[in-house]
Amino acid sequence: MIKLEPKPITEFPSERQISAVRFSADGTILAAVGYEPAVRRWQFDGKLLTPLPAIGGFNGYTTALAFHPKMSVLFAADSWGLLRAVEGDKTLWQHETAHDGWLRQIAISPDGGRIATCGKDGFVRVWDAGTGKNLAEHQAGEDVYAVTVGAGIVFGDMRGRIEAWTLDLKRKEMSFDGAILYKLDRLQDIGGLRVLLFIDGGKTLLAAGTTPENGATPESIPTILFFDTASGKLTKTVTHGTNKEGYVHDLVPHPSGCLMAVTSGSPGSGMLFLLDPAGKEVFYENKKMANCHSLALHPGGKYAIVTSTNRDSNGNGKTLAKDGTYKTNTSPLHLFEV
Amino acid sequence: MNPLCTPLEHTFSRRAFLGGGLGMLASPIFAEAMQQRDKQVLFVWLDGGISQLESWDPKPNTEFGGPFRSIKTSVPGIHFCELMPKLAKQMHKLCVVRSMSTKDNAHSSGVDRIQRGDPKNRGVIYPHFGAGVAKLLGPGSSGLPPHVWIKPGSGGFKVEDAGFLGPKYGSLAFGEGKPPENLLRHPEISAERDAARNDLRKMLDQRFASQREKRVVEANTSVFDMAEKLMARADIFDTSKLPERDRERYGRHDFGQHMLVARQMLEAGVRFVKVTSYGWDTHGDNFNAHAGMVPKFDQAFSAMLEDLEASGLLKTTLVICLSEFGRTPRINGHVGRDHWPAAWSIAMAGQGVKHGIVVGETNERGTEVKSEPFDIGAAFHTWYHALGIDPLKTEFDNAGQPLPIAHDDMLPIQEALA
Repeated sequence: MIKLEPKPITEFPSERQISAVRFSADGTILAAVGYEPAVRRWQFDGKLLTPLPAIGGFNGYTTALAFHPKMSVLFAADSWGLLRAVEGDKTLWQHETAHDGWLRQIAISPDGGRIATCGKDGFVRVWDAGTGKNLAEHQAGEDVYAVTVGAGIVFGDMRGRIEAWTLDLKRKEMSFDGAILYKLDRLQDIGGLRVLLFIDGGKTLLAAGTTPENGATPESIPTILFFDTASGKLTKTVTHGTNKEGYVHDLVPHPSGCLMAVTSGSPGSGMLFLLDPAGKEVFYENKKMANCHSLALHPGGKYAIVTSTNRDSNGNGKTLAKDGTYKTNTSPLHLFEV
Repeated sequence: MNPLCTPLEHTFSRRAFLGGGLGMLASPIFAEAMQQRDKQVLFVWLDGGISQLESWDPKPNTEFGGPFRSIKTSVPGIHFCELMPKLAKQMHKLCVVRSMSTKDNAHSSGVDRIQRGDPKNRGVIYPHFGAGVAKLLGPGSSGLPPHVWIKPGSGGFKVEDAGFLGPKYGSLAFGEGKPPENLLRHPEISAERDAARNDLRKMLDQRFASQREKRVVEANTSVFDMAEKLMARADIFDTSKLPERDRERYGRHDFGQHMLVARQMLEAGVRFVKVTSYGWDTHGDNFNAHAGMVPKFDQAFSAMLEDLEASGLLKTTLVICLSEFGRTPRINGHVGRDHWPAAWSIAMAGQGVKHGIVVGETNERGTEVKSEPFDIGAAFHTWYHALGIDPLKTEFDNAGQPLPIAHDDMLPIQEALA
């Protein structure tokens, strides 16, 4: 594994806050979902992000997205349960209520034939990526926060209950104990799971997020759990930072073998860090960006985009901009040469 | 078949308490008795600040509206956040004020200012609303402590809540809704011995009182009186004999179980019951936090409204739900909402207030009150009026300075009053 040192190149502004960002398979399009009912897109040429028209017609917040691994098809979802496949500006198919309410995540199978979704309604569903036909569903029970697809499907809920099922959702194959990612504090269920990810060709499952300590204004430590997919056993727990650093919001494997993670802290301000998955060593850390929520790796791994939050994003009462208006926060996009 | 019980079942289950059969419920004597029932207050405090946008005043599909949908309520044209489906069905019982605009955005000072009605600075500490009610309406026919507080954590006698009314009107806090330790008479002490001890105590109290300030002695004596009354009604803390289905309806969480104790206290005639839920200060992960907490609040608060209506108590009980402020429209980098006193909501029901209405309006972005804004002093005037108390006529003397019980420049929210 090469110890990379991502070099910040430049920063691009955004008009709204971004919760997830991804590159298309050919690397020419960057798409983002966030705190608005639209998907933002940019053209990327290796140096510049040039805004393209946003895709509207969503509701609430856009919450999840995934690009097809080979084609230019984008799958995006919102917090009211809508799921849509688009190519360019053309809608290929759409379900208004793929889930009842907040659709949490979308994962696409390595061959691009299936997509899996999970939601606050407690359901996990599998769809034909080409037609949008619902192929299978499973009622997992509580709010399902994260999903990933490999040979089978793995999903995890608010309480850190992580299960592997066959892709047709007919048979449960394994359970993984991620209970450390959950805490009940008074009335608040604090679900710490944010990302599920296969590495090592599917031999290892990563569950990333946070180990919650308290609710309301949470203090918690960024955490990555390593599970052996053959046995279901927890083989390693990596925590990085203090209990002010918050959640691992995004975790991406780099072709060089390292893991790239971004965190958003509370009351800290988060970071980008790189980790050797073979050990526990964090060999790169960048704390210059505030409250990072997503990381998109360019195909081939030469570039990465990290979305952060503008400085001084929090504050009680009516904090006004210099022009006297009450403005939304935004998510600057940071281009790194990896 | 629905495993949960219905409001109708509560009507019948409480028949014994009300002292009559079904025929009596329909009789003019019963109706008159209900009208003459003591006025009571249930005061639900969501400490830290529930988000108005994720509860009473949703702004779906707007800049700061958040991820959730809004849902229809039982009153056409009025919508709540989707996290409150049960309360949405109870909107016809509620009066929601969406135009609260207060001054303090800090917990440390804001909680006190809101709970004391944020009066003018008169150089004295004003009483909490519960203390004012306890003073002006007294313990009522039940004789039970008139100002109680059910809260997570520890309990005790909170004299500071009484302000200038004197420590006697402080709140008696029951930590986790449990009775004070050693409340009941020790089995080895007979009733006669206990009475003799109390007589001796009263005699010593009188001697003590002759050399002390009256209100201090009153507070001391009132604690013993309260203990005596509570000893006789220790059953009001016991929810174990209630149907299992009742405990499910309110929720197994601490807020649900505390609300169930509160219901028993209201049924027993306690004048003012405050129930506090902590943990609403969602500076981080606001949406997931509200997704978890609001449905639990929705469950317990709606069950309470159903039961108060079914038993007839809603007619004589003023129900109030609020926090020290709302939460910012803007989402911070921790996915949280911060403190926002500029435009937020409270909810009321029952005694003296209109039902099925929304008072006031915020703008589309939720950043400003669009209609007439109301400070907390106006809410205090509204509540006192709803209970038949004129807050301007009632005066207290502070070294020659007459003090009204509420802010003397404020007026009640007329649209909210029945």
